[in-house]
Parts: sequence; C-alpha cells; structure tokens
Amino acid sequence: MLQCIFLLSDSGEIILEKQLTWHRVDRSICDWFWNQVISQGDSFKQQPVIASPTHYLFQIVREGITFLACTQVEMPPLMAIEFLCRVADVLSDYLEGLNEDLIKDNFVIVYELLDEMIDNGFPLTTEPNILREMISPPNIVSKMLSVVTGNSSNVSDTLPGATASCVPWRTTDIKYANNEVYVDLVEEMDAIINRDGVLVKCEIYGEVQVNSHITGVPDLTLSFTNPSILDDVRFHPCVRFRPWESHQILSFVPPDGQFKLMSYRVKMLKSIPIYVKPQLTSDAGTCRINLMVGIKNDPGKMIDSITVQFHLPPSILSADLTSNHGVVNILSNKMCIWSIDRIPKDRTPSLSGTMVLETGLERLHVFPIFQLGFRIQGVALSGLQIDKLELKVVVNRLYKGFRASTRAGLYEVRS
Amino acid sequence: MAPPAQSQRSPSPSQPSGKSEVTDLKTQLRQLAGSRAPGVDDSKRELFKKVISYMTIGIDVSSLFGEMVMCSATSDIVLKKMCYLYVGNYAKGNPELALLTINFLQRDCKDEDPMIRGLALRSLSSLRVENLVEYLVGPLGSGLKDNNSYVRMVAVMGVLKLYHISAATCVDADFPATLKHLMLHDPDTQVVANCLSALQEIWSSEASTSEEASREKETLISKPVIFYLLNRIKEFSEWAQCLLLELVAKYVPADSNEIFDIMNLLEDRLQHANGAVVLATIKVFLQLTLSMADVHQEVYERIKAPLLTLVSSGSPEQSYAVLSHLHLLVLRAPYIFSSDYKHFYCQYNEPSYVKKLKLEMLTAVANETNTYEIVTELCEYAANVDIPIARESIRAVGKIALQQYDVNAIVDRLLQFLEMEKDYVTAEALVLVKDLLRKYPQWSHDCIAVVGNISSKNVQEPKAKAALIWMLGEYSQDMNDAPYILEGLTENWDDEHSAEVRLHLLTAVMKCFFKRPPETQKALGAALAAGLADFHQDVHDRALFYYRLLQYNVSIAERVVNPPKQPVSVFADTHSSEIKDRIFDEFNSLSVVYQKPSYMFTDKEHRGPFEFSDELGNLSIGAEATNDVVRANRVEANDQDLLLSTSEKEESRGASNNGSAYSAPLYDASSVSAAASQAQSDSLISNLEVAGPQASFAIDDLLGLGLPAAPAPPPLKLNSRAVLDPATFQQKWRQLPISVSQEHSLNPQGVAALTAPQALLRHMQSHSIQCIASGGQSPNFKFFFFAQKAEESSIYLVECKINTSSAKAQITIKVDDQNTSQEFSTLFLSALSKFGFP
Repeated sequence: MLQCIFLLSDSGEIILEKQLTWHRVDRSICDWFWNQVISQGDSFKQQPVIASPTHYLFQIVREGITFLACTQVEMPPLMAIEFLCRVADVLSDYLEGLNEDLIKDNFVIVYELLDEMIDNGFPLTTEPNILREMISPPNIVSKMLSVVTGNSSNVSDTLPGATASCVPWRTTDIKYANNEVYVDLVEEMDAIINRDGVLVKCEIYGEVQVNSHITGVPDLTLSFTNPSILDDVRFHPCVRFRPWESHQILSFVPPDGQFKLMSYRVKMLKSIPIYVKPQLTSDAGTCRINLMVGIKNDPGKMIDSITVQFHLPPSILSADLTSNHGVVNILSNKMCIWSIDRIPKDRTPSLSGTMVLETGLERLHVFPIFQLGFRIQGVALSGLQIDKLELKVVVNRLYKGFRASTRAGLYEVRS
Repeated sequence: MAPPAQSQRSPSPSQPSGKSEVTDLKTQLRQLAGSRAPGVDDSKRELFKKVISYMTIGIDVSSLFGEMVMCSATSDIVLKKMCYLYVGNYAKGNPELALLTINFLQRDCKDEDPMIRGLALRSLSSLRVENLVEYLVGPLGSGLKDNNSYVRMVAVMGVLKLYHISAATCVDADFPATLKHLMLHDPDTQVVANCLSALQEIWSSEASTSEEASREKETLISKPVIFYLLNRIKEFSEWAQCLLLELVAKYVPADSNEIFDIMNLLEDRLQHANGAVVLATIKVFLQLTLSMADVHQEVYERIKAPLLTLVSSGSPEQSYAVLSHLHLLVLRAPYIFSSDYKHFYCQYNEPSYVKKLKLEMLTAVANETNTYEIVTELCEYAANVDIPIARESIRAVGKIALQQYDVNAIVDRLLQFLEMEKDYVTAEALVLVKDLLRKYPQWSHDCIAVVGNISSKNVQEPKAKAALIWMLGEYSQDMNDAPYILEGLTENWDDEHSAEVRLHLLTAVMKCFFKRPPETQKALGAALAAGLADFHQDVHDRALFYYRLLQYNVSIAERVVNPPKQPVSVFADTHSSEIKDRIFDEFNSLSVVYQKPSYMFTDKEHRGPFEFSDELGNLSIGAEATNDVVRANRVEANDQDLLLSTSEKEESRGASNNGSAYSAPLYDASSVSAAASQAQSDSLISNLEVAGPQASFAIDDLLGLGLPAAPAPPPLKLNSRAVLDPATFQQKWRQLPISVSQEHSLNPQGVAALTAPQALLRHMQSHSIQCIASGGQSPNFKFFFFAQKAEESSIYLVECKINTSSAKAQITIKVDDQNTSQEFSTLFLSALSKFGFP
C-alpha cells in the first residue's frame, strides 16, 4: 500500500506531491532522499528500492523525472515498481512527452489522473483506454474543440462505458466509418559477442502491437505460421488463454486504439545480421584501433541507422579517430559515436586511429565494449510470421495492415 | 547537479513574494466569489490553478480557505476537482473551516452526475477531520447503495478512510457487514476488490479486540470466499488480481485436488502482461505445493520461462525486483537455472545494481557443466570500464572456485588476474588466492610462484595487503625473499594505517621466524618493538602476547602461532538456511529485496495491514487510541522504531548483534556481525571461519539466573534460552486450553517503572521469561510471553494485559504440561511482582 507519491525534478525540486492515505508523509522525506542521491552518487540514485529511516522508498527515473513512492508497510516491491512505470507511461502518453515543464503546465491533469489511478494507496486502473474516457488528454485537438464549442472542461461528462461492460478494456458502443486494424511485429535483438569473436548470447524480445479501430465488439483471432519458435509469451488481459494453449491461436476482443497484444522472447538464435571486428594493438604508450563493420547474414531488407558506440577507457588521454564512411564524434564524457547509417555497396566501413595512453602506461588493460545500433524495416529477425488475422463477425470493409521491424537492443561486441 | 533550492521548497509563509501574492489572490477570489457574470468560471479556473501550483511548490495557501470555499459553488467539474484537491490538503489543519465545505460536498454527493457524486464522496472521506465524521456516515451509506459502480467503489474506500479516522463510528454504522455483502454480491469487480482490501484492513485491526472480527477475518480465507473470488479473477483489474493472489497465498487447501484446481485456474496468470500479477501467481504456486516435493519441482520448471522473460523484458527497475526473487529461488534450487545461465550475462548498458545481482546469479548457478563458460564470461568483466563491477566479478570467480571441485582452469585465470597490472584487479585477486590456498593447499606451488613476483609496493588496499602478508608468512619457506620483504614492511610500520595489516604483519613475521630464524630475527625484533609501542590496543596486546610466548618457550610459541592446519572445507555462509526459509515464506515482499526476513528490518506494526498470519504483529493497531494527538505520537514512535529496527528477537540474540540494532535498515546486519566477530576473534586469518555470532550469548540471561529467587522459590526451572517463533506461538495459543486466568494487582513501583513496554520485557527476560510481542499505549499495555521448562520441551504461553491506571494485570496462561501450570503461574507472578524493585 503506497502512502504517497512525489515527482521530483532532476535538481531535486518537488514538482508534485500526492498523498494517498490518512497517514501523511512529510515532504522532508524528499530532502533525505535527495541528500542521499547527492552524497552517494548515481549508483544510489538508480537503486529502485531503498530504505529511509522512516519509510521504504520506491523510485524510477524517467527522462530526468524521479517518481518516488513511499510506504511504511510490507508490500510486493514489483507491484510498486510496476505501478510507477505505468504512471510514467500514462503521463508521457497524456502529455506527449515527459519533462518538468510539461508536468507543471498540466499538473491539474496529473492530479486528476493519479486520483483515478490509485485510491487509498491501492492501484485502481492503469488501462490507458479507460483513463482516456474519464479524462481527455490535453492535446491540440481538444484545445481546438474547447475554443470552438466553448466547453473547456477536459473531463468527459460521462463515466467510462467500460466500467459497465463485461469487457473492462473496451467501451460498448464504438462506431467507425472505416474499420481498420494494424498489426506490428516490433523486435529487439540482444546479443553478446565475446573477446574471441564468439556469439555467446543472442536473443530477441518482441512485441505484437495492434492498433484497432473497429465498430462494435469485434472478436479477432490471430495466428502465426511458426508459433513453436516462441520461448515465452505474455499477453494483454484481453487474450483468451485456452485457444493459445491448445492451438497457439490468439483469440481476443481488442481494446480500442493502440495497445500491446503480446510480448514474446525467442532465445538461442544463431545468426546476427551485422558483424563488428575490433582490433586493438598497444605499444609504448599508444594504442592503435581498427574497427570494421559489415553485413554478416543479409536479412533481405535494407539495414539502416547503423551506429557504433563505445566509451573510451579512462586511461586514454586523447584519441584521433577517422573513418572511411560516416561520422565519428567524441563527446566530452569520452563516449565515442560512429554513425554509419547504411553500409555502402563499394566498401566496408572502417574506423581507425591512434589513442594516447596515460603516461606510465605501456599498454591498454581495460578494453572498450562496442555497442551496435541498427534498424531493419520489413523483417522480424526471429523469423516469426503472421499467418492470418480474422474477424468473427464480418463488418463491411475491414482494412488489415501488417508490418514488421527489428532493431538492436543491447547488442554488444567486446574487445 | 545543483543542491535543491531549499528556500523555495520549504513552506515559508514568511517569504515576502509568496505572502504578497497570496494576499493578492485572496482579493481576486473575493471579487469572483459572488459574481455570476459570464466567463467567471474561466477566471476562477486560472486563479485556482495558481493557488494549487503554490500549494504544490510548498507555499502555505491555507489562509485562502474561506475564499476557496466561497468560490466552490460552480458546476464546472474541473473547478470542482481543483477545489476538492485544495480542501483535502488543508482541511486537517483547519477543522473549523473544513466545516464550511461539508455543505457543498454533501450537496455534490447527491448530484445527478455519478462522476461528481463519486468525486465529492472521495473528497468528503479524505477530509481527515475527526469531528466531521458524523456528516460522513450518511453519504457513505447511500454511496454504498448507489446504482453506479463508480460511486460504490469510491464509497467502499471511503468506509476504510472513515475507519481510520474513527473506528468506532465505522463499526457502529455496521459498514463492515455491508462491505461483506457487497464483496460477495456486487456485479462490479472493482467494487469487490475494494471491499476485499478494506475488509482485510478493518478486520485485522479489529481482530485483536473482538472475537467476531477475528472470526470474520478467518472467513476471508475460507474456501467459499476464496473460490468465489478465484472464479471471477479474470474480470478483476490487474492490480486487484495482485490483491486477490496475495490472499490466496494464505489459503490452506483441504486436499491435493483443491491445490490442482487452484493451479489450473491460475495457470494463465503466469502469462499476464503485468509482472506483479506473474510474481504473485508464482508465490501462490510455490506456497501451495510446499508439501508436495515432486509437484514443487514441476512448479519450478513451469515458472522458469515467465521469470526469465520478466527479467529481460521490463525496465531495469523491474528486472531488479525480479532478479532479487530469482536469486532467492536459485539458492533453494540451483539446478533449475543452470542451463539458462546466459540470461544472467551482464550487458554494458545495464545499471550496476542489475549487474551486481546478475553476478550473484552467475555464482549461484555455476556447476560442473557450465563453470567454464561462466568463468570465461566473468573474466571478460574483469577488464570492464566499470570498476566496482570488475571487482565484483573477480570475487565471483573466487566464489565459484571455492564451490567447485575442479578448480584447475579457475586457478590459472586468477593467476592471470595477478599479472594484469591493474591495482584493483591485483588486490581482489590476492584476497581470492589467499582464500583458495586455505581450501586447496595443493595449489600453493603454482600460486606462490606468481605471488612472489608481486611487489608489495603495488598493493595498497588493506585487505589485499593483509592477504599478501599472510601468504608471505604462511609460505615463507617457498619464497626466497619472504624475510626481506617482511623486514621492509616492518621498517615502514608507522606508515601502515590499517591495524588489520599490522596484526597480520606481526603474525607473519612470527611464522617466518619459526621457519627461517637467522634471516628473520632482525625483522622480528623490530616488529615486536613496533607492536609494543603501537597505539592500537589489539596490535599492542598481540605483540605483548607473542613476546611473552617467545620468552617462555619458543617451540610452544610455534605450536600456538603456527600449528599444522587443516584445509578449510566449507566457508561459513553469511545466511543461515533458517533465514533463507523465512525469506522464502515472505516471497514477493520487500524481504526478498533486502535479503533478510521482515522481522530484521521492519518493526512489527509495519509488517502490514494485509498480514493475516501474524496477528500478534497487529496487536498495537487495535490498541491504537482514537485520539489524534496520541496517534501523532505513535507515528513518531514508529518511525524511531523503524530507525532502530530493534525487535525483541534481536534483543535476545545478545551482544554480537547489537551493531545491527543501531543501524538503519539499509545496513547489512550480517556483515556487521561478521565484522564484529572478526574483530573479536583474534583475527588470525586461519581462524576466520569459526566466526560465531552467537558466541557471547545473552549475558543478561546468565546474570538473571543468579538473581535472588522468589521468597518461596518454586522448584520449576526455566530454560533461559528458550526460542519460539511467532507462528508456533500462535498455533499453540489457538490449540491449547486456558489453564490459568486471573487478575493480579501490581505494586506501585512496578507501575511507575512501566514507562515503556521494554522495561518489563527486560525484567521478565532476566527471569527466563521471553516476550514475543507487545504493544499498547499508556495506560493499557498488552504482552505475550513464553517460557520453556529447563531440559524439557514443554512450553508456557502467557498473555498479560496491564492497566497502569488501575495497577491491575489480567493474566491468561496456557501450558503444554498441565501439571506444572500452577507452579509456573506462581513463578510468573512472583517475577511480575518484583518488577519495579531495584
């Protein structure tokens, strides 16, 4: 049971305070918290669960805003963290971004949202679709409307229909002139290539994102051609479990609008689309670096937004790096970013240069780790394919759209 | 990052700018209050926004209360909401003014818009002003019967809020019964969930004073209720599902069919998108199958994939919470994740708190088949840019080496670390090599060759230096220049700031002397002289001890200082298995994150209003006075308790744990006791593993036995170190019949001494009667004691209610062995009657 939620700016100022129970939490807890953050540095700031002398604090940091929740009683820690994550998601969804000014400009809406999301310390609903019906977001459209109609309230007059319907994530009477449903496979590839160039881990985390605008209460089924490759799946509450268990078919009544239907994991993949070959040789206080990037297994679609990032080890004083393709930037925090974008047909992109080590150091002992970023439109690298999407009761003219994309998640090459 | 702007944040009405603006707002609000001009709502809204933004940044705007209430007559819902927010914030501080708001809130409670009805009811019940509760009962009653579920849902929470303001009013209005009816019959699941959470809180608070409430509390976890709710679980919101699953975890099924029914019903919850639901389900599965070993194993297999997905899919904060739970599971069943070790490989971008847990996981899952891969991976981290993680990973390699039988490959890796010429890597590796040699002396040859090449000048960290010195002493016969290195170190005695290093140096020089006397004699003389002059007590004492030993007999000295050693087979674990079991029982709670059971870091009042099994823990909630002032005191007291994190249990653990008693919960108690015992034991490395935190057991107890006995000492002898956990106590308390129940008057000195419950606890402890729970506020105190018959298992349980104003004690005794009940009661009363006498 959470007792209080604070939103703190990145300078420790309280942007917002929401007391949840009869038991007030004094603001001084934030001073304590912030003093700890300052005295213990970043590692403390990131610790999600901490104990203060009087309360247990849960915190998450999103875009520089610290969401801090306090409790004095035992509770499932994941529930508190999960809830804070949802709050952050809903807020950034409503405010179309998340920063101090946005929250300050819209704090009335933030209060209203928190009021509906949690009562007496216990979470009620965090479903964005339902919240949207109770409190309309402050976007431009509604601002325009309010000017035109003169009704400037951002609270809808009616209660969400879903509270009365038997499908809690969907309102009963939705009407569209054009019925459409879009299904996106969005995948992220995590990989580790070790010092010897061996692929030690390669895994895909994927999401099936659906955007549906269909009249009435549609009942959809979605099937894959190769569901057996999935290692573990998690579903939106709308998915019926039995059809999946027996036939690996997703059967569901979708919420209206954008939502995450399912997330999945595919492990033990054997091939990676791009290779990175680092070579570091040090000699008498300098270190030569040579980095090559190329396509290993062609996914059949264009790979773009390729970047390689690495932190120069602290023992390096200066670095002079050049590349035959793309742009190399070294930031003040010794982060080096090489933006390649697309791999040209005629040559292999390579980065080379020399780095000067600290005086007294003969050779490099701490080696950089190269993080690769890329994006591939049109293909899901796990190989997952959608077989078909069907609507039980056919409405006139249903437009169905499918897309897939893969990008690099935590994709690192060690040297 | 700039320190927080203090002046802006503290509520300071004295702030000149803030004050003038508040007065300004006041006049503007006044002007608008009566106005009915068109567009007035818009200007009101701007003003309200300003007021609330001042309130948010901490400027005290309570002086506007009257004006805000006057302006509240509006049909604009946003204005209403802002007004509710304002009123809710300041009503408690201005009870007289809050009365002004009652009128418009009550009117809004009858509005035709259910949204307004709900919001008004929520605000009305959040006023937290005690003398206004009479106005709350009516609207709540009609709210519970409202035909709109939103209003009912708010009303249910309102009942709980009312209960916390005035428990008596809530019970008198018979709201708990209404909630129970709603819980079992309302069509809306959010109403049902709110009822459940409200009833849990109300009944567990009431249970200590009312038999009926405790019966009702039991029915919540009875089969009909549980199955009724479980059948509707899919309609519940995800958060309500968590609440329900927590409840199910406390349910004890009658037979295995029931267990399988529940598990079938809940299996798809493991696939839920919300991690909290998944983890709560896992808890249910694990708890249900505890008694069925084979099914329990299958459960582990079943929950593996969902857990791993949770780790890799969520935000780092979520991963952290899940990994803490995984770590607990892995300690119980290391093999389940042994083939999935790659999931715990650290990635560069992960925050270090996640990496740290992952390293612990890697250490825990390592076994014969995967050691090679894991150690290879860990070695890559040793060259990591992130230095703390590099250190942790070297330690992890060492831990794995100490777990495994086949250490060939690992020793080579460790020796490579020594050659890496990074001071922190060398330092960590030295400590590890030292531990390794204590377990596998057969490797000494290879290790010493490498260690011998390390210049002691490059080793600065005390722990590493101590390890190096230990090896120099222990293997001085194999290292040619050992005496000379030690001599060099002795010459720099005064520059050595760590007492630990100096202690080791003394011992090492001694050992070296026994092996190579002519070469070491000079160094020994210098070391003993420096040691005797040392300002550190331990160093001084040890030097003196060695000096006298040598004076007495050199060969005896050798037998004392350098006896033949047995290789260490197992290093003491920091967590006992009992503690691990306790944490497992508290799966899906903060205990898992802190890696210690809740009694070690929360005081008992805070173990949770949802806590069902621990009715003793909730004692004081029931005893909580309704008076506001007293409650404020209580909160303060609680806060201090939390800070000290003391409980009777720790008190009885005696001296060695005192360190933890004075620390905030952040502090790791186990490391404190380890450190304390390290300091106590003579800190020879070879003796480290005997670290016995219980060594100096409660001295109080021993003294207590020596106190003069009662005037007519009864023959009954009690065990001064009786141990009983709260669960057993409760179980016994329920089972046993009452053997003695009587009222006893206390002497005035006793009453005077009872300023705080702790005084009596200590007194009774000195009579071998331990307290397991206590609570209450002056004048009413309540204690639960237990005692055990010496050399027998028979247990005595006592409930003792003391009223200090009437100086009466109401005593109820339950015993295992009925024959001795009278003797025990005499003993107890005589102990009690001596309370207060010096």
